[in-house]
Amino acid sequence: MTNEEKVALIEETLDIENGSLRPETELSSVAEFDSMAKLSLIVLCDENFNKKLTGEQIRAFVTVGDILEFLG
Amino acid sequence: MGKFENKYILITGASKGIGFTLAENLDNLGAKLILHASTDAGMNKLTDSFANKGHLLFKADFSDPLSLEEAWQSQINQDIKLDGFVNCVGLRSRRPLTLLKPAHVMQILHANVASFIEMCRLICRKNGFNPGLSIITISSIAAHSGGPGVTAYAASKAATEAAVRCLAKELFKKEIRVNSLVCGQVNTSAYADLMETKSDATDTILERQYLGLGSTQNITNILLFLLGGESCFITGSAIPADGGYLS
Ligand SMILES: NC(=O)c1ccc[n+]([C@@H]2O[C@H](COP(=O)([O-])OP(=O)(O)OC[C@H]3O[C@@H](n4cnc5c(N)ncnc54)[C@H](OP(=O)(O)O)[C@@H]3O)[C@@H](O)[C@H]2O)c1
Repeated sequence: MTNEEKVALIEETLDIENGSLRPETELSSVAEFDSMAKLSLIVLCDENFNKKLTGEQIRAFVTVGDILEFLG
Repeated sequence: MGKFENKYILITGASKGIGFTLAENLDNLGAKLILHASTDAGMNKLTDSFANKGHLLFKADFSDPLSLEEAWQSQINQDIKLDGFVNCVGLRSRRPLTLLKPAHVMQILHANVASFIEMCRLICRKNGFNPGLSIITISSIAAHSGGPGVTAYAASKAATEAAVRCLAKELFKKEIRVNSLVCGQVNTSAYADLMETKSDATDTILERQYLGLGSTQNITNILLFLLGGESCFITGSAIPADGGYLS
């Protein structure tokens, strides 16, 4: 999966407008990135990437790029 | 003589958490147990923990309620008459509405609601139980308080509590009692998993649950009371064991 596809998947999971996220986007500036969005991200990682994401790891994410890197 | 000497008690979901502690307690009190798990790991743990104790094992997947009748009849001697049934199976679900697809919701409802009702149907048949049979299923504070992300889980627990009220009214003539125990947060591996996936570090549940985190022994003590004759005047209830959460 390309980075663009991953970003699109994150946008879809978080129910955010298509094309609004870039790797350098800071998560603290994304209003939709609330606790439910973080929960969605955990489910996404588990179901689509078979990766276990913890709350601690989420708290360490600064940019969208950090999420992409985690997804590998 | 133990308090439950020669009483046959079925514990579904006996390989972990609350069910496992209950199994240990009932084993010490002389009960004859039917211990259930769904995975090989769960079955192995039960075999290792209760080797040579003469308890029976029952393996079945509650995600597939349609398979339970065949599983129950092929694995368990149908001459056994149960005195107690405690259902500790409860699949967790934490996901926002956007990801709450029907397949997931159905899996939770199948495992937590349909399979509980099916197990009741299978054991409450003629000659399947002794008068005084006590059935208890574990519910959750989520059924009463709700919470973001726990729609499927809370709905399943609320549905089970409603089923319990109906079954109690239907089955009292057969001298069967049915109750649910509404648990607050208990210190199990499921709780550890929950805290690991929490996006904020604080535990908001324990702010309301002012007696603190429960232990599996706290819950087991109440289950033992509900299984025994001392609780003969209690049926159709959803009894809180929640450290004050719902008060
Ligand atoms: N822990 C809490 O804080 C808490 C709070 C409120 C309510 N509850 C409720 O209390 C009950 C027990 O929870 P727990 O945390 O003590 O134990 P748990 O970790 O939820 O495990 C209980 C049992 O469920 C079995 N199980 C899992 N998937 C199954 C499936 N598909 N079919 C059949 N059995 C399956 C497991 O067997 P395997 O090992 O073979 O998978 C295990 O023996 C649940 O109903 C839960 O909702 C718990």
